[in-house]
Amino acid sequence: MSDTLLDGGTLAEGCHPTTEINATVNGRKVQRRVPNHYRVIDFVREELKLTGNKEGCGAGECGTCSMFVDGKLIKSCLAPVQKINGCSVETIDDLDRDAGMSLLQQAFHKCGASQCGYCIPGMVMAATSTLRRNPGASRDEIKEGLGGNICRCTGYQKILDAVELARDIQSGAVPASALEEDAEAHSFIGQRTRRLDAPAKVTGAIKYAADMFMPNMLHMQVVRSPHPHARIVRIDAETARAIPGVECILTCDDVPGVDNFGVFIEDQPTLARGVVRYVGEAVVAVAAETLDIARAAVAAIHVEYEKLPSLFDPHTAMHDGAVQLHGFAQNNICKHTRIRKGDVDAALASADVIVEQTYDTQSVEHAYLEPEAGLAYVEADGCVTVQSPSQNITHHRHMLARILGRPINKVRMIMSTVGGGFGGKEDMIYQGMLALAAIKTRRPVRYVFTREESIKVSAKRHPFNIRYTMGLKRDGRIVATKMVMVADGGAYALSTPGVMNKSAILGPGPYDIANVWVDSIGVYTNNTPSGAFRAFGAFQSEFATECHLDLCAQRLGMDPVALRRINLMRDGATTHTRQQLDRVLAVECLEAAIKAAGWDAGVPYRQGQGKPQRNDFNYEGSRQSYLIGGQTQPLVPRASSKSDVHPVKISIN
Amino acid sequence: MKHRGRGVACGWYGIARTAAMDRAAVWVELDDGGTVKIATGVTEIGEGVLTGLCQIAAQEMGVRPEDIVLGDNDTARVPEAAHAGATRMTYMIGNAVALGCREAFGRFRTAMGAYWGVSAESVRAFAGQVWAEGSASKRMSMEHAVHVLKKERGIVIVGSGLFTSAHTALNPENGEATPWQSYVFGAQVAEVEVDDDTGEVQVLGVWAAHDVGRVVNPQQVEGQIEGSVVMAVGHALMEEYVQHNGTTTTPGFAKYILPTALDIPHVTSVLLTEPDPKTPLGVKGIGEPAITPTAAAIINAIYDAVGVRMTRLPATPERVMEALVDRRSAKQPDEVPVAEAIS
Ligand code: FES
Ligand code: FES
Repeated sequence: MSDTLLDGGTLAEGCHPTTEINATVNGRKVQRRVPNHYRVIDFVREELKLTGNKEGCGAGECGTCSMFVDGKLIKSCLAPVQKINGCSVETIDDLDRDAGMSLLQQAFHKCGASQCGYCIPGMVMAATSTLRRNPGASRDEIKEGLGGNICRCTGYQKILDAVELARDIQSGAVPASALEEDAEAHSFIGQRTRRLDAPAKVTGAIKYAADMFMPNMLHMQVVRSPHPHARIVRIDAETARAIPGVECILTCDDVPGVDNFGVFIEDQPTLARGVVRYVGEAVVAVAAETLDIARAAVAAIHVEYEKLPSLFDPHTAMHDGAVQLHGFAQNNICKHTRIRKGDVDAALASADVIVEQTYDTQSVEHAYLEPEAGLAYVEADGCVTVQSPSQNITHHRHMLARILGRPINKVRMIMSTVGGGFGGKEDMIYQGMLALAAIKTRRPVRYVFTREESIKVSAKRHPFNIRYTMGLKRDGRIVATKMVMVADGGAYALSTPGVMNKSAILGPGPYDIANVWVDSIGVYTNNTPSGAFRAFGAFQSEFATECHLDLCAQRLGMDPVALRRINLMRDGATTHTRQQLDRVLAVECLEAAIKAAGWDAGVPYRQGQGKPQRNDFNYEGSRQSYLIGGQTQPLVPRASSKSDVHPVKISIN
Repeated sequence: MKHRGRGVACGWYGIARTAAMDRAAVWVELDDGGTVKIATGVTEIGEGVLTGLCQIAAQEMGVRPEDIVLGDNDTARVPEAAHAGATRMTYMIGNAVALGCREAFGRFRTAMGAYWGVSAESVRAFAGQVWAEGSASKRMSMEHAVHVLKKERGIVIVGSGLFTSAHTALNPENGEATPWQSYVFGAQVAEVEVDDDTGEVQVLGVWAAHDVGRVVNPQQVEGQIEGSVVMAVGHALMEEYVQHNGTTTTPGFAKYILPTALDIPHVTSVLLTEPDPKTPLGVKGIGEPAITPTAAAIINAIYDAVGVRMTRLPATPERVMEALVDRRSAKQPDEVPVAEAIS
């Protein structure tokens, strides 16, 4: 059993039946014996250590694992390894062995088509396939060709531009010099300098945490709570401990330091301590010789729970007498931010029209293409090091030092290449377990989340319920704004206090309003914790404000642009928190946007009111509406259109 | 039948961290070969900040972006520059890099001025070339200049920079505070097509204008805007993490629907580039501000197209249909503005 490990380490051996695979991979003949249950992606990444192609979902949904088998594009996470026996496999690692970067890869680099880069290997493969199939593919055909690949960062536009550029250079319509760097100007600031990390991203050469291997490395898996709220009565890990290859089993009792951490409120243990507060909370961590052994150990650990009453609705959770989820948070209120400016009641009484409405925003998953992953090890000098896509290495280092009870200089965090974050990788939800396991075993330990685990465990965008009252004068002047916002913070605080602040401070929008009342309340529940997410509460509160202004414009019979123009902050404005601003470009932005869009002023929903139609459609910058299949059939509802465009499980025999 | 509509929304965003002292530090060394080492705890999360910082350092040090070696993201090796978030990277660390480079370049000018016997102010550098203003002969490569200073003068050019942004905490009673030093404003217009037989919404175009301050790299700024807009299209129309009694029913991308290349609008970015007067470099940021107006602009455009106001995100085809059916079954005439009622 340990022979194979000494050979350089295979992911699983021994307990699993194996199969022999003979294939040609990137032009080289390979022959390996691997576990029967391997998929093509496992073979390529774990066995051959070709890590250019990524695994983003393991379920055929994201396209990051796309590679060619006998020239046909497949999602390698869906194909059993046996399918490549006798076949020729092409991965991103070797797409253009001679030139370093293929024409498409160069075009991606030129167009700025990679950001975090995690989707890019799969995108390049899918685009290569599209242009191989039809060198003259139209933009819509290219879109369809990439329809099974998700990119969370770029908005696709620059990716499509890149594929079109490559197509046009290939056909000779555009000279190859279009790939060159823009001529050097008098300044490097302001230039469209190509990204310095892009060549490594478009070729798959850059390493993310899950791409890293170390000699003698262990694999971590975690037992997670199936209950939203329960007391842990007993943990029985004896059977698991007896499995050969299990190197360590961790519970909260193994934490040597102060086991409380969080971004704003230290309310979270590294591993559940006595009680679990949401489905997916980590309870026991295992490090073992192989991933399969770690999984077997997790399955063999029995945790006995006593279920407790749970709270899923923040409004209910705030009631007197509701179950208390954290001792310190009265009525389960995690944070209540107040803005009070002027006299809202008096101003509302003076208004010509009062408009009230309630808005709800949903819980949103970050869906970065790279699931959480990390690699921890103890260096020769005793410094424990964690490499992971942490968005906040400074803070994580401090928290980790406390958890581990070590001086700060004996703790080192290295941010590995981040495959998308958007705020979702600010929380330190697994690095503590990794560091503990590395210290305990004196071996490197790697932990890679599955997509399901990532979705279940990581923080979400706070869902908000927003009650809005606005008073206006007949001419459109806002005299008072009142917002009462209740957000579901989930089981632990994470960034909730900051999110409540930001939603409150910015919520009433960039408008000059004399009388403002905002309550922004974040509440603990037994839902998945909510946390930091791009625009951090302001997305939700400003959404309500901007919808509400449109509703007010409708009520007043005004052009929504005109209503905004009247109220926007100008130079010297005072904000809702009474900060004096000097330069304010809000009006300039509005004018620039409507000029670019060719906005035709008037009330919303003109056609429904028998008024003359808008005349600003088909303006430069809008696209044709999309029809599946070369614009010949009418659009079908999304549910079915999706299965049309996502290549379903491709068989490759 | 398909109907088109347009909506508008504005937004604003405070950048760098709220109600706390924010700071970022860097070290700079003019290295052999005329290259420059920058060490800072910056962490790239995909937005392109590393490239932007190399452009800034190149500009300030008189070399090219590819001459910069950036030490980053390792708490044991680089000075603290805090986290990747809050739209603070270009703003905080960009300014710190500029300050560190200005210190280093000031020393370089003094040393080269002394070497050439000219005033420090007349020493200039760009793209790896160094010269003394007004002299035809006093000119050499940066590589040579570094060599000369080290060998003949025993000088290693180093610098450090710290940029801080001070804020005040919110008064718990009334929220009074100066939470941020700089704000980014923005406005977007969205055009949609709504199919009133299916409830399907397509976003055809988004025009986005943001005052991003001095722009380091327009391609990266557009990239942030395009990415934000498409993420917001997802939030507005399809994405929802659903839980039933605390257990998610959207555990994978088959259930949790994200926008694909087929769902995206054409995005037109308009950059207002007036430098931020409060900072040495004049840059601001765009990572988060660009997502604040989009979803509302889309939802407002849906109203403009078919006269139903969606107040719950996401506006899925089912929900849009439900709203349309509700309105039809209520047999209400299209809503009349209250302006007439109040006048
Ligand atoms: S990993 Fe194969 S499609 Fe997502
Ligand atoms: S660049 Fe596409 S997912 Fe990040």
